[in-house]
Amino acid sequence: MRPLTPKRIIGSCAILCAVLFVAVVFSLRTGAYPISIRDIVLTLFHGIIGRRDQVPSEFWSVVFTIRLPRIALAILVGAALSTAGAGFQALLRNPLADPYVLGVSSGAALGAILSLIFAPHTVGAIQVAAFIGAGLTIAAVYFLGRRGGQLDSATLLLAGIVAASFLSAIIMFLMTTITGHELRGMAFWLMGDLSAPPPASNVLGWFGFLFLAFFIAAGAIYSTSSDLNLILTGEQEARHLGVNVNRVKLVVYVAASVLTGLAVSVSGAIGYVGLLVPHVMRMLFGSDYRMLIPASAIGGAVAIVFADMLARTIVAPTELPVGAMTAVAGAPVFIYLMRRRVR
Amino acid sequence: MASSQQAVAVKDAAPRLRVEQASFAYSATDRSAPAFSLGPISFEAHRREMVSILGPNASGKSTLLRLIAGVLRPLSGRIEVDGAEVTALEMRLRAQRIALVSQESELLFPLRVWEYVLQGRYPYGRRLRFESSDDCVLAGNALAQVGADPLRDRWMDQISGGEKQRVILARAMAQQPSLLLLDEPTQHLDIGGKLELLRRLRRLADENRYTVIVVTHELNLAAEFSDRIVLMHRGKCLRVGAPAEVYERGLIEEVFEAPVEVEIRPSGRPRVVLRG
Amino acid sequence: MFRRSVLALIAASAALLLGAAARASASLPARGAASTRVLTDEVGRRVTIRGKVRRIVTLSPDLTETIYALGLQNELVGDTDYCDTPPAAKLKPHVGSAREPNLEAVIALHPDLVLASGTINWLQTVEALTRAGLAVYTAYPRTVDGMLTSFEHIADAAGAAPRGVALEANLRKRLAAVHSALAGSPAARVLFVEWESPLMTIGRNTFIADALRRAGAESVIESRQNWPDISIEEALRLQPDYIIFPADSGESSAHRLAELRAQSGWDALDAVKLGRVEVVSQQIERPSVGLVDVIEKLAHDLHPGAFAEHASAAGCEGNGGACAL
Repeated sequence: MRPLTPKRIIGSCAILCAVLFVAVVFSLRTGAYPISIRDIVLTLFHGIIGRRDQVPSEFWSVVFTIRLPRIALAILVGAALSTAGAGFQALLRNPLADPYVLGVSSGAALGAILSLIFAPHTVGAIQVAAFIGAGLTIAAVYFLGRRGGQLDSATLLLAGIVAASFLSAIIMFLMTTITGHELRGMAFWLMGDLSAPPPASNVLGWFGFLFLAFFIAAGAIYSTSSDLNLILTGEQEARHLGVNVNRVKLVVYVAASVLTGLAVSVSGAIGYVGLLVPHVMRMLFGSDYRMLIPASAIGGAVAIVFADMLARTIVAPTELPVGAMTAVAGAPVFIYLMRRRVR
Repeated sequence: MASSQQAVAVKDAAPRLRVEQASFAYSATDRSAPAFSLGPISFEAHRREMVSILGPNASGKSTLLRLIAGVLRPLSGRIEVDGAEVTALEMRLRAQRIALVSQESELLFPLRVWEYVLQGRYPYGRRLRFESSDDCVLAGNALAQVGADPLRDRWMDQISGGEKQRVILARAMAQQPSLLLLDEPTQHLDIGGKLELLRRLRRLADENRYTVIVVTHELNLAAEFSDRIVLMHRGKCLRVGAPAEVYERGLIEEVFEAPVEVEIRPSGRPRVVLRG
Repeated sequence: MFRRSVLALIAASAALLLGAAARASASLPARGAASTRVLTDEVGRRVTIRGKVRRIVTLSPDLTETIYALGLQNELVGDTDYCDTPPAAKLKPHVGSAREPNLEAVIALHPDLVLASGTINWLQTVEALTRAGLAVYTAYPRTVDGMLTSFEHIADAAGAAPRGVALEANLRKRLAAVHSALAGSPAARVLFVEWESPLMTIGRNTFIADALRRAGAESVIESRQNWPDISIEEALRLQPDYIIFPADSGESSAHRLAELRAQSGWDALDAVKLGRVEVVSQQIERPSVGLVDVIEKLAHDLHPGAFAEHASAAGCEGNGGACAL
């Protein structure tokens, strides 16, 4: 009997972080602009010590306005989607749940469309509108997904599916009646894309805000991980053991939806990550949510950083949307996992 | 010797579970449940006792059990465990006193037996908790007591139904409860399994000083193993007492609507057989 | 203790990296004492061009065509994969597609000026390149008139204002000639078929509608939407005089006519029965120099009588050739 200890969790996370570090290094090296690893390191170093004048302006541009923000975004989005996916799989008691099943991505897409119609040239409008769209969908599905005043897994799932279909129908309607160059960007939202530059000129503030939001929401889910372990053996049994099941469900629902809304608002709907990373992490580290949540977060970051790197190199100089890569890589992994379960 | 025995007897005499005029009713507007009322019911149970709540279907046995477990709030009256009112206890404190042993376990993801039993320690410590070595010792003891120690490293979905039942019982025991509640635990077992389970419960009640409350409709098994019977019929408690006191032919026939004979066996416990 | 020091290390590295990234958003150091011009482009953004423009990158095919028309092809150091007009443009280094150009490839070409099209390129691409310190001018013409003005602005941004003025003047002269030849002739009623199935045509606010008007044609479909889908029945009800298709490569009007005659629904249209089907160059869809060629040719084809007295003045012929000044 070797129960999970904080030390083991940190040890496993350290290994995953090392993998993430390698992925980041590879990703920093990837790009059409010819710059050596040595120059990248020097640029980073001079940036950190505040000597921007020592760096050729093009090196600076490539490293700090193109590659690094993109990598940071990949880490954030991968971590957010995978953590949300793990949370939803517990909340909905369904191993096939992914973060988009409750309609949050459709709400964000609708917000994005409306911002493209009404404010196509306002920087940052698309992210704000998408997040508002996501938030409204979260609230609506919450109220639809209750049964007897409490969140019920089956009702929540149905409410989410209905919301997603309804919103998609509205999106289709808008796309056919208001077609034009304003909606060129919709492929982005349906596939997921990391190439958007930070909408705020204060890059530090932007990423600081995003990562702070991520840690708050992910931390909220993590605080319920003991509860989730019990809930996964049966809701009534968990209640009898003293778990406040209703409160836990609400916390996980809101936090996981916020994570999903955050990710979709800044990068569109990148698929498969939220579904598959938690399963792969379960295979490697077990189903204990105290380990699974941080493992999924870091694992998801690794997955998206690698997928983005591939998306930029496979048919260079053209870039594929990262969602295309996750779909292509994700489908075989999914099939493999399905077969393992059957056996 | 005698005085310490007396002291033990005195201590055991204070009731662990006290049900006082407890009543309940499903509201008429709740369409998912029949309009049904329960009680008022009063009885007591002591340490090391096994009490059977006995009655035919729809007599209110499960409702009474859920009142005792604190899942339902009585309309009137009180239910106390170790002197504390059950519904007033915070959820985790309640789980430290009362363990409800469930029938099935619908696991979504693979789990090892020892992990499952260790979850019984949840009510102790913080919400996000990591198990201590004490927790592991207690869980190990629980497994040993139900004879499931060799199973500890197996996966939950790889053990047999009977083994799983023992593991579920071990998890409930890991809660270190005062009260152990079971709802029709012999339902899916053959006669050998039923006997094994009840013997085990009897033994655990003695060894760990539990109070065991079992909901059942099995007349003879209840008579054989229980210290007291609470006889239920259509939401009312008709009689509380030792099996020999409760198993009166007229009473049994009225409650179970079947012609029966009641024999008293040499052990002093009654046995019911169908007449004619 | 160990846990805390690990957390502290992670927090410190994150803070350092983010701090460095923050400084990336500070303003660029001045590049040189040479002239710095600040323009406002056609989507309202301020563009700062430092020094003389020697290296230009274009991010859409129509802009590439414009550069060649302005005679600035020697300054063109990069264009998109789809820039094929004129054919020489295909030999220039490519930066990817117009929708998703590779930002680093653009930077690697060290351009002094990047030209973007408001109808094809995304705001995000323009933003990202601007953030990276490049001067990006976005052209966004919505009418033929706007297109001509845009040529002049682009030339101005590239530091070759006189060429722009001259090009614009020449093109306006040609269009004026078409206009006066068509004076008095009623506009032909046409159906412009952007896509066959679903049957998609153009709205009245589109660039193409404006070009058609210049060529003496008016779309029979009145719509506020830019790309309305209609049913073939609507076309049958309106019975346009001509049907116009933008060309796939090298297709001829006769070929398309034969195809349509074989299809039910289309064969009931008067225009099909009478053989009044025109295939025009795809350049009608783009705000490019070749558009004027298309307008001239279409005007000739739709109103042959109006041009009988006027011999074609300019030496431009065919599609896609650079206009001689």
